[in-house]
Amino acid sequence: MSAIIETSDLVMEFPSTRALDGLDVRVPSGVTGLVGANGAGKTTLISLVLGLLQPTSGTVRVLGLDPSIDGPRLRAMIGYGPERNVLPDDMQAYDFVRHFAQVRGLPHDEARSRASDSLYLVGLGEERFRALGTMSTGQRQRVKLAQAIAADPSLIVLDEPTDGLDPVQRDEMLSIIVDVNRKFGIDVMLSSHVLEEVERICDHVVALDAGRLVAQGSMTELAGALGGVEVELVDLADLPGSIDAVERQLLDRGVVVRRLDFSLSVSGATDDELFNAVVGAVASAGARVKTLGRRRRTLDDVFTSDIVASGQPEGAS
Amino acid sequence: MNQPPPPSSPPPPSPAAASGAQIVDRGFQRYDGPRAGVGQAIRSVSWQSIRSTLGLGRPARHKIFPVLAIAIAYVPAITFVGLSVIVGDILDPNEIADYAGYYGFITAAILLFAGLVAPEVLVGDRRNGMLAMYLSTPLKRSTYLVAKVVAVLLTLALVTLGPPLLLLIGYTFENAGPDGPGDWLVVLLRIFMSAFAVCGALTAVSMAAASLTDRRAFASIGVVLLALASPAVASALVEGAELSPNWRLIDVFSMPFELVFRIFGEPGNFPELSTLSVVAVNLGWTLGGIAVVVWRYSRLVVAR
Repeated sequence: MSAIIETSDLVMEFPSTRALDGLDVRVPSGVTGLVGANGAGKTTLISLVLGLLQPTSGTVRVLGLDPSIDGPRLRAMIGYGPERNVLPDDMQAYDFVRHFAQVRGLPHDEARSRASDSLYLVGLGEERFRALGTMSTGQRQRVKLAQAIAADPSLIVLDEPTDGLDPVQRDEMLSIIVDVNRKFGIDVMLSSHVLEEVERICDHVVALDAGRLVAQGSMTELAGALGGVEVELVDLADLPGSIDAVERQLLDRGVVVRRLDFSLSVSGATDDELFNAVVGAVASAGARVKTLGRRRRTLDDVFTSDIVASGQPEGAS
Repeated sequence: MNQPPPPSSPPPPSPAAASGAQIVDRGFQRYDGPRAGVGQAIRSVSWQSIRSTLGLGRPARHKIFPVLAIAIAYVPAITFVGLSVIVGDILDPNEIADYAGYYGFITAAILLFAGLVAPEVLVGDRRNGMLAMYLSTPLKRSTYLVAKVVAVLLTLALVTLGPPLLLLIGYTFENAGPDGPGDWLVVLLRIFMSAFAVCGALTAVSMAAASLTDRRAFASIGVVLLALASPAVASALVEGAELSPNWRLIDVFSMPFELVFRIFGEPGNFPELSTLSVVAVNLGWTLGGIAVVVWRYSRLVVAR
């Protein structure tokens, strides 16, 4: 699959810090999540992709172009939704979206109609003539998305698009972002520090930590079924040793058990055998089950246990 | 068993279908039509900046200063044209206000605008992140600055070009204008050159001030202080300390207006200065201001 963003040994140094350190990233078509804690280098990478910054060394290619050479041509094909609240309070949402559609190259009449269409797409059709300063955080995030897509880019880059949203607004925003990709074929790269939402909607992940690549690859490669069973038990006051008993019985059956508080992660046999073993052990110990399912590796695991703890940056693909 | 009647003939077309009209709910679609280049981006940013500066499409409080400045600039011209209508037979309006001397009546408006416009146009974008937004479009730093310079120039032209033009047109209709089409065109050209000279120098200086601070008020106060202080310092040096008259040239606010007199072939307020030095110092202020803006923006770290 061809890459829409590709970096090679990318380094970005500021006077006081090295924001990116030898980054080799390959982002294919689809919805890609750029994850990492604050200060991981996500925004710096976005700035380099947009050509807002010049790399200290290394190369970046976006949609086959070099942002530092073909910046204007490239940026005509990219929509950008910043993290910061940049919307001018006095301006109407429609005027803002239309203005940026024109700046990105749409003819006047087309910019007008597409500004309305974009605002309808993000659910602000009826609110499009409201001043931006009177809108809620969720509505303003949608306006930023609308202006990013209005000029019909090939790629949109969204910096923390769900920042400041409540869970319902977050779900709606994520759903719109997925629609933009699935229905209209616009590639999306979004940065987020909320791993759960990236896991939910992204096809690919690029994970950064302190300017280094922690992991990259498709979501199915990085997170997904691991093999094994995970059971979470209830800590019963009248049966204080029940969880210990379950763990002991499972170990006696020769399977591998990792315990974290009230959860047991069980592996070392086929899933069917493990389910039977867990059910038998729970029944025998009189324990109570809260959740029972197949073991999955989450993005959180990618960060916390498997890679960060080892201190070894790794490319999964 | 009831059978539906066989279709005998196609149903008559609806009026809308007959007329070929149809309601199309397009919704959001991909766009594969033509795209404009950077020129349109520059025009769009310039126009948006002008609208914002003049308070168009914004609440009333944002319109107060622009309306005040424009009123100060145009009221004398309207008054002079009115006088030429009422007492034109007994008084030559050109004796009240000629084209070069007109700027003396609207110094306050020009100062107000110069102090207000460039900071409004430049500082806000840097502070609220709109600069990064613009630089994420086909605009580069250089083309962004071109758009902003055009916006400041055109906005200042409202008070530097419009009133003398109004004066020329009004006088012409009252038969008090230049003699013949040739002279008329010469005056028109001089008005444009004068407006450009005043706009150019003040745009460059005010944009330089606006590029050096992220506080709009500081930039505005800086421009106004420079405009008020430099004539005082120049006078103190020339008249108080009895230094060379050429020290007048540091008067950044008076020199553009001095150049206007020279464009109209008049000696001006400082006849001891050579026209060449007046032209050179205006060019210097203009290029110096532009250099400061370009230097500042080339060093600006814009991320997100």
